[in-house]
Amino acid sequence: MISLQHVNARAGRFELTDISIDVPQGTYGVVIGPAGAGKTTLLETIAGVVRATAGRIMLGGEDLTLAPPERRRLGIVYQHAYLFPHLTVRQNVAYGAAPNEDLDDVSMRFGVDALADRSVESLSGGERQLVAIARALARRPEVLLLDEPFSALDPRTRNIVRRVLRTVYFERRFTVLQVTHDFSEAGLLGDIAIVLDRGRVVQQGDPAEVFRKPASPYIADFLGAENVFAGMAQPIRAEAPDWVQGHESEFAQYAVAFTTGALTFYALGDVVPGPTHAVIRAEEVSLSAEPSMSSVQNQFRGRILEIVPAGALSRVTVDASGTPIVAAVTARSVRELGLAVGVEVVAGFKATAVHLC
Amino acid sequence: MRAVATILVALFASLFLLFILAPVVGLVSSGGARGVASLASDHELRASLWLTVATATAATLLGMLGGTPLAYVLARRAFRGRAVVAALMDLPLVIPHPVAGIALLLVLGRSSPIGGVLYQAGIRVASSSTGIVCAMLFVSAPLYVSAAREAFARVDPRYESVARTLGDDAWRAFRRVTLPLSARGLTAAAVVMWARAISEFGAIVILTYNPKVVSVLSYDRFTSYGMSEALPVAAVLVLFALVPLAALRALRAGGPHPST
Repeated sequence: MISLQHVNARAGRFELTDISIDVPQGTYGVVIGPAGAGKTTLLETIAGVVRATAGRIMLGGEDLTLAPPERRRLGIVYQHAYLFPHLTVRQNVAYGAAPNEDLDDVSMRFGVDALADRSVESLSGGERQLVAIARALARRPEVLLLDEPFSALDPRTRNIVRRVLRTVYFERRFTVLQVTHDFSEAGLLGDIAIVLDRGRVVQQGDPAEVFRKPASPYIADFLGAENVFAGMAQPIRAEAPDWVQGHESEFAQYAVAFTTGALTFYALGDVVPGPTHAVIRAEEVSLSAEPSMSSVQNQFRGRILEIVPAGALSRVTVDASGTPIVAAVTARSVRELGLAVGVEVVAGFKATAVHLC
Repeated sequence: MRAVATILVALFASLFLLFILAPVVGLVSSGGARGVASLASDHELRASLWLTVATATAATLLGMLGGTPLAYVLARRAFRGRAVVAALMDLPLVIPHPVAGIALLLVLGRSSPIGGVLYQAGIRVASSSTGIVCAMLFVSAPLYVSAAREAFARVDPRYESVARTLGDDAWRAFRRVTLPLSARGLTAAAVVMWARAISEFGAIVILTYNPKVVSVLSYDRFTSYGMSEALPVAAVLVLFALVPLAALRALRAGGPHPST
């Protein structure tokens, strides 16, 4: 378990301010944030490498705020592995190994047993990272801190390293806190997502929830939400449309009319009237040739400005009365609907897909 | 125009090289063979050479003992006054060495409080090999501290961080990780200090004229007997100075140290 309560820390000129996070025992936490947000400093503060100047750091239920790194029963793996270059692979793995740890087993699991006598200088990036993780886990830590351990790896190696780590994680159930700038990785791996920006925690919770309901336009933008609109919100309780009835108990929220540029669309929320932001994920926007009669409350006709293929999905931008709305549609839909630049379509999304922040 | 500039640069570089090499080559060619031959017969030269090596080695070991922790702190820890401490460490490099000798005599001479206490304890600093070691240490330790500081700074502190999370306390992480990774740089720093120590004259001649190290002996023979007697001694010193230079080259040929 990792629990930080109102922790401040300073590394050079950089400061972490009032950090409070909770990662329960055996869960996989992911820290996301832009470069310079303080992600590495956060891990180093938990590790005791950077000293906390205020607050409490609890690991495994014990207050270890003032404890030196060697007493914290944790392992840290950096992006650049930091294997000791004067030692062989075997010596690196054995460096801090627990007395009862089977080094051959750990090495074998991470596929580094065959490299045991090699100099670390001769290893590839992926091999280095595998050795670094094996070295950290050979100590049998209760907490594993990972600082972008996969970012320097090619996709194939990344998948291998990730898979091996996940297998060991599910077996041993230690607590993990991993830093990444890739939200898809956070969604893939994490039980808890912590969003950090400029030394502060700006949001934390279930990764899917953070992804769907970012706490600010900045986070929405950082998390890759294509449709982030600035506009004015106006609650419409008195004249609530029929569709709100079905959602009231579910969301305990109210219908809101949100106006951005020439568009006004419905959302659900509990906001005060005035300026705010609306976030709609591109995956929530559907395209059709004609307005549908379904439960999609917001439908706008417009012409396609751009189609950008991105893997299995294509990003289609529709100009709806001067406001660009981005939809993510499958390649098959692009073909079947005959989507092309200049073609007129209807972009639709449910009021429940609009997140006001 | 470009060709003229190239020729001028080459000319000045050659003249500069000649200026540095000519006296050394002249000295070695004039007195080198005689100096080496006299090592067998000249008891005073042999004793002087031995004294120079022993005191320079002692000064270097003392410099490493005190300078290594200081260099580490200067490289790793940010504290108020770090720049002042670093500047103070460089002070002996800018003081004329005879002045350094006078300053040491003032502090360590028999009539000074410290020197008096040392004398009472049976340690004579002035006119003894202890004085030679003190003079060598004073003038050459800053070179060691400066180079050792750079050697430590080249080792990424995250190696230590990882070692700490793997169970090492600060001292053990230093011993098992930082020290091996900076060993080449520290050795080079010690060689530079040792080389500077064996060539010291100004501070030693003030503090301890006798017993004579090689630099003082060559001066003594020059003033007492003239150039012909001084030449072999001076040439031996120059030849001897080539040993640490060669060692330094060999160390540097080992390549840069990994920092990540």
